[in-house]
Amino acid sequence: MRDFLVTFETFFNNAIFYYALFVMGSYVLLTLLSAIEMSGYMKKNSYVNYREILVSPLAPSVSILAPAFNEEATIIENIRSLLSLHYGNYEVIIINDGSKDSTFQRMFDYYQLEQVNFSVDYQIKCNEIRGVYKSKLPSFSKLTVVDKVNGGKSDALNAGINVSAKDLILCIDVDCIVQEDAILKLAKPYLEEKYQVIATGGVVRIANSCRVEDGKLIEVNMPRNLLPRFQVLEYIRAFLMGRMAWSRLNGLLIISGAMGLFDKNVVIKVGGYDQNTVGEDMELVVRMRRYMYEQDRRFKVVYIPDPLCWTEAPADLKILGRQRNRWTRGTIETLWMHKDLFFNPRYGVLGMLSYPYWLFFEWLAPIIEFLGLSVFILLASLGHINWEFSLILISMVYFFSVALSTVAILFEEMSYQQYTKGKDLVKLLLASFLEPILYHPLTVFWAVKGNIHKFRGKNNWGAMTRKGFKDQHISTETEQMT
Amino acid sequence: MNFFETFFDYIKETYTERLLYFPSNIRVSLLIILFCVVATLELYLYMAFRRLRQANEKLKFEKWQEYISNMLANLIIFDESDKTEDIVGHFYPKMKKLPLRNPIVNKLLISEMLVYHKNFTGKIEEVLSILYRKLGLDQKSKQKINNRNWEIKIEGIREASEMGISEIASEIIKYTDDENALLRMEAQAAYIKLSENDPFHFLDRAQERILDWHQVVLFEIITKNKKLSIPSFSKWLHSPNDTVVLLCLKLVEHFMQFDAAEEVERLLKHHNSRIVKKSVEIIGKLELSDAEEHMFEVYFDQPEEIKLEILNALGKISSGNYNDFLSSRIYSNHIRIKREALYAIKRDPEKGESRLRELYHQTTLENQALIGHVLDNRIKS
Repeated sequence: MRDFLVTFETFFNNAIFYYALFVMGSYVLLTLLSAIEMSGYMKKNSYVNYREILVSPLAPSVSILAPAFNEEATIIENIRSLLSLHYGNYEVIIINDGSKDSTFQRMFDYYQLEQVNFSVDYQIKCNEIRGVYKSKLPSFSKLTVVDKVNGGKSDALNAGINVSAKDLILCIDVDCIVQEDAILKLAKPYLEEKYQVIATGGVVRIANSCRVEDGKLIEVNMPRNLLPRFQVLEYIRAFLMGRMAWSRLNGLLIISGAMGLFDKNVVIKVGGYDQNTVGEDMELVVRMRRYMYEQDRRFKVVYIPDPLCWTEAPADLKILGRQRNRWTRGTIETLWMHKDLFFNPRYGVLGMLSYPYWLFFEWLAPIIEFLGLSVFILLASLGHINWEFSLILISMVYFFSVALSTVAILFEEMSYQQYTKGKDLVKLLLASFLEPILYHPLTVFWAVKGNIHKFRGKNNWGAMTRKGFKDQHISTETEQMT
Repeated sequence: MNFFETFFDYIKETYTERLLYFPSNIRVSLLIILFCVVATLELYLYMAFRRLRQANEKLKFEKWQEYISNMLANLIIFDESDKTEDIVGHFYPKMKKLPLRNPIVNKLLISEMLVYHKNFTGKIEEVLSILYRKLGLDQKSKQKINNRNWEIKIEGIREASEMGISEIASEIIKYTDDENALLRMEAQAAYIKLSENDPFHFLDRAQERILDWHQVVLFEIITKNKKLSIPSFSKWLHSPNDTVVLLCLKLVEHFMQFDAAEEVERLLKHHNSRIVKKSVEIIGKLELSDAEEHMFEVYFDQPEEIKLEILNALGKISSGNYNDFLSSRIYSNHIRIKREALYAIKRDPEKGESRLRELYHQTTLENQALIGHVLDNRIKS
């Protein structure tokens, strides 16, 4: 028994070491790729005059699709902000997904809506559309409101696609704060890439503690609470490092559900959003990519580092836990639905690189981490731990994590420098020291919980309560999806 | 000995005396830790110095910007009746005194002069061009154009283009077909502005793609520049470069060049579907009724996107020759085809709506709903 434990301990130490080395190596590689992509983008775009797209009749047309469920507190303000975006040829389609509060009535009254004889072409399956409404006021001619039977976010977006009359669709969360030039920046890759661009996404930022007036971001501040501050760091790392690198490799698997611009024709060809998953944003991108491979068409999914959309991050452990639980389940569902992609050379980068990466590092990593920790505790309780070696291994992971976060902060500093105040930078740097100890274990726990829930058959979205940017109000995201 | 002393002694001993005796994985871990700690500290220092430098530069920048802006703002107190030499004589000594070797001042002066030049016409524009040359800034722009770095080249091209340094056109032409897409686009845009004899010569030699984004930029320059003499773009509709054909089609459409009708019709059989689609769109926009038959001939072999465009064009022409064809399309299996055909019928300003009302009583419930949709003017087609 003693010999076995000694052998197991050696194996355990080595396994942890090589796995950590592998993960760290992949992060270093992604960081380098991201640096190349970022610097190329920054250089290239310092010469761009976006006004040219704004006024050009040649710019692609865009439909903004924003599902709304029980958003009565902010819907008027949110729509007003969407109608004031800087772009020439666009329409705003708000999909009232069977709200139980007065969301629809508020829109109806404020924007003086009237029902039009819209004959919906159900190119994608969705729940019944009760009516399509336009404003009587010419100043709101860009606005269309779709009233439908509740079916969840994916179903609402599918309904919006069926009503859309433009070439590109911008799918957003209605309560996000969208930068005024967001469409200009997202549309540009469609005009400049050699191959067909099927989707573009931009950086989503955390708006907690920021000053927001009339649906517009006035002042960027570092969140006062520690939990959203950790998420700032996490988002910077994920968007500026991870997604930019994957964009460079043309291997992006996800465009954030908060904001993404898609080629409508391709979305329709693949059947729109899947309603059987809680990770509909990732699943759609994977399906679009595999469709393009199957059609032997060259294409790109592009990520741009501009901060285009600001969202309120959960400031409460319970709500954040629900969100992460759902993200994990979404990942598992997408990976399972497209399991035939695994190391399938037919799907190029998607099959050979992106899919295995997501499987090993996004899905399996927290499980391995959790198992590693459990075994560590077990061996420690049996007195079979070389504490010095273990602490050295843990320190390696910790300091690597701090260094990686610091590089991410450097990327932010050298690109858009959203946090201009020195004290905000210091807060962010301090957060990078605390995050691996205080925040990361929680994300591992929620991911493991998400796995357990998935295998026990729990498929609900989970209520997401938000405080709102102005007044304290509660907006509940789509409640069903069972 | 306190905790910190013990801790630092342990670290020192680990890295100096014990390192070589650890198992290899622990040794590598220790080296990684050391590297990460040093890298993190260096990054902190770099970020701190960067912020300090930024703050310092901002101060200097603001000081000089105020000075230069105030100086240039005085330009507007002169009017068209003042002699150009007098105005130049007033400003030149002041500008000459500026420390132009200071990169901040140099950059600021150039950028402010470019902004004023762009936003004013007449005397101010003329004075700024003269001052730019007298200060030797045109020579600096020329040097930039021949720099090895593409970003500097673009900077030089932009300055020369805005300040109208036309003698540089012959140097810029070589970049209009450069491999670097951004440099290529900037050179093409500048060449159009600067070439006095043949501003579209670059289209003759274009082998590289003119990306859609470049087309947006070039289209803006060509259509907004009132001084430009516009040629017949049909000349380039034979180009082997599809992107040149696309750009010229857009320009034919914008300038309503009817002389290109024959060439546009020929393009209906082009191998590139984007060119076919654009040609159909132009046929509709220019209401080229002679092309109707040709469009009808190719209709059934086309993908849905082009079919929709053909229906749209037939609607815009509204000659009445294809009314039966349009009416028959409402029995297509594709709703988009049906809807487009109905819109095409509606486009006949005299009889369109009454024909739709007639059709309403003769057709299926599904088509009735579509007709209702098309007749509802609150919905844009």
